Amino acid sequence: MAIEALIDLESAKLIGKGLGNIGAGLAVGLGGVGTGLAQQGIGAAAFGAVAEDKGMLGLALVFIAIPETLVILGLVVSIMIMFI
Amino acid sequence: MFQPKPMTRLVIAAGKDQMASVVSELYRHRVFHITDFVDQGKEGYEGVKIGTPMENAGELSTDLIKVRSIENVFQTSPKTQHDVPVQSANTIRAAIKKELPKISEEVNALTAKRSNAEAKIRECEQRIAELTPFALIPAELELYRGYETLSVFAGYLEHDIEFDFPCEKYFAPGKETGFLVLFAGKENAATAEKVLSDAGFTAVALPNETGTVQAALDKYNAELTAAKADAEEANTKVLEAKAKYADLLAACDEVLSCDVERAEAPLRFATTEETFVLEGWVPFDDVEKIKAALNQAAGGKIFVEVDEENINYEDVPVEYNNPGITKPGEVLLDLYARPKYRELDPTIILGIMFQILFGIIVGDVGYGLIYLIITLILRKFILRLGDMGKKIMGVMYGVSISTIVFGLIYSEFFTLSLWWHPLLFVRHLPIGEVHAPNIMDLLVLSVALGILYISVGRIFGMINHARMDHKGPHRTKAILSNLGWNFMLWGMLLAIFSLIDLNVVLAKANMLVWIPYIPGTAGTVTLIIAIVMFVAGLVFVVRENPLDLMELPSNLLSHMLSFSRIAAIGLSSVAIGMVVNYFARMFFGIAFDGGFTVLSIVLIIAAILLIIVGHAVNAVLGVLDGAINSIRLHFVEFFMKFYQGGGIIYKPFGHNRKFTEE
Repeated sequence: MAIEALIDLESAKLIGKGLGNIGAGLAVGLGGVGTGLAQQGIGAAAFGAVAEDKGMLGLALVFIAIPETLVILGLVVSIMIMFI
Repeated sequence: MFQPKPMTRLVIAAGKDQMASVVSELYRHRVFHITDFVDQGKEGYEGVKIGTPMENAGELSTDLIKVRSIENVFQTSPKTQHDVPVQSANTIRAAIKKELPKISEEVNALTAKRSNAEAKIRECEQRIAELTPFALIPAELELYRGYETLSVFAGYLEHDIEFDFPCEKYFAPGKETGFLVLFAGKENAATAEKVLSDAGFTAVALPNETGTVQAALDKYNAELTAAKADAEEANTKVLEAKAKYADLLAACDEVLSCDVERAEAPLRFATTEETFVLEGWVPFDDVEKIKAALNQAAGGKIFVEVDEENINYEDVPVEYNNPGITKPGEVLLDLYARPKYRELDPTIILGIMFQILFGIIVGDVGYGLIYLIITLILRKFILRLGDMGKKIMGVMYGVSISTIVFGLIYSEFFTLSLWWHPLLFVRHLPIGEVHAPNIMDLLVLSVALGILYISVGRIFGMINHARMDHKGPHRTKAILSNLGWNFMLWGMLLAIFSLIDLNVVLAKANMLVWIPYIPGTAGTVTLIIAIVMFVAGLVFVVRENPLDLMELPSNLLSHMLSFSRIAAIGLSSVAIGMVVNYFARMFFGIAFDGGFTVLSIVLIIAAILLIIVGHAVNAVLGVLDGAINSIRLHFVEFFMKFYQGGGIIYKPFGHNRKFTEE
């Protein structure tokens, strides 16, 4: 009751939109952090392998791209928050 | 299509007197992939040994080493020489006999002269470095040596110190550290040494010269200048020789490499005292040609037979066999692995879809034009890589054109709108401009593409198992397991289609892509079918390996949703471009707002720099994102369903000649 008295519907909608935007940012940002954490190990190992054998380059790039799924799903979620 | 070139196994046997002509003939045709003979003492092979190189092999190898060592001095190789007129191999062979010893002698003399001069330079520089500190001391150089009762110390010391025994010393203070020379009686040598080392003294060797220090320094400086001139002269002469001989050496290298390869070919044959046998693979189309050629070369005294029994498909070399337009995909597939002989060759899908996915992701006329220009600039260098270069060019052209085409569809030019409305998907984001992007369509389409890819991958998996596995219950289970995954996927999708109208859920924006929705009785029937399919799929998968159920979430959801990156990455690239444009426009706005001042000029320059750098970075990111992710979608999400790879690469016996012809 107290909250209803404090904010009107219009403000509540704005706050909701703002929170949504924060959520969208978190989805991309935290996804990016996760991807980075995963890529640091894979990247080091992959380029170690490339240093040994240059033929591994193609596979190495692919392995490095694997954790990008996290941030991309984050981006999809944030797009859905922003545009739906 | 989807198949490597059919290969035929040939067995060739003849008397040893025919060996040279058989080897030359095979080498000339360049279609025979030799299977190396391995002496394993197998039954039926008693007395059969690996052959020995032909007589001239040693001499040829020695010449080749000579050529390579000269090339090493010149820092050239056949790979670095281009646009050399083609000569006949016999001319080059004559040149090897006549000119190679002369060239070798000349270059050896030059390198000897150069290394002598370089040694002299090092020596002089060291002497000068040793003498320089003594220039501070007013004493002639012979005074430092030849005493019976005196010890002499010379070296660096930070501060001057006093000694409490009779001695003669001279201290020359320097910027960081001083230089000290000390003459003391032999009886005090030990004390002097101790005092000096306590004070942080660094001793230097005493010079072995006569006269004044300056005279000695002048002498060495003169020698140094002379040695430097000598080295310079030798270097110039080496460069002259390089310009003169590099092309000839590249041709010699090629001819000798070919001759050595031929002379050493018998190391790959099975031989007895009088005969030799070699086995290998020839593309089916060339069998008759090579048979006739060998018969003619050996005057009929040869046995060439097609062997169709006991074929181990793991040993068959694999040569791609794709229609011209998809050939560039081969270079992409080789990044992963060459397919096995009986495996489906996915080059066609990879070759076409890689370019299309790249276009969907980057899709911008401006960036596409940049890629096209870069491709045209690099053309000359890439084509030097030979066959692979052609394929790489194919990929680059395809990617550039696909980017331009999708740019026209998206109506994007450096993310600015062109003068028509986007044809299918609106990717213009509301960044500094009023737009209503239509992103859901692109997302749905991406995921739909994912579903298609995964379903096709599973069907390919069924085909591969049917072809490559040994007959038996395991093969049936493996095929059914792949079918089971497709059943589960489609069961899940049908259930969703019958339960929810996704168009309503997603369609706040106007949807172009229509998602099926089956309401009412038909929906109920579909739901029942979906459940049956899902359960059947589950049973098929569990029957092959219950542990596969661990992959349920990734196979049914992640892999499908992973394709949404096609839409997402494209949008991120659009966003970067639009932000660059937004800031540039803002700068221009401020610059022309309220009169033209010095600040305006600064802002305009800043805006132009921002546009150039921003879009250049975005174009590079576009290549990385577009290429890596579209190839990754194939390698990870698609190939994991069916592709093993690891086939033997077809390497016909022969050489791709660049400088010479027989």
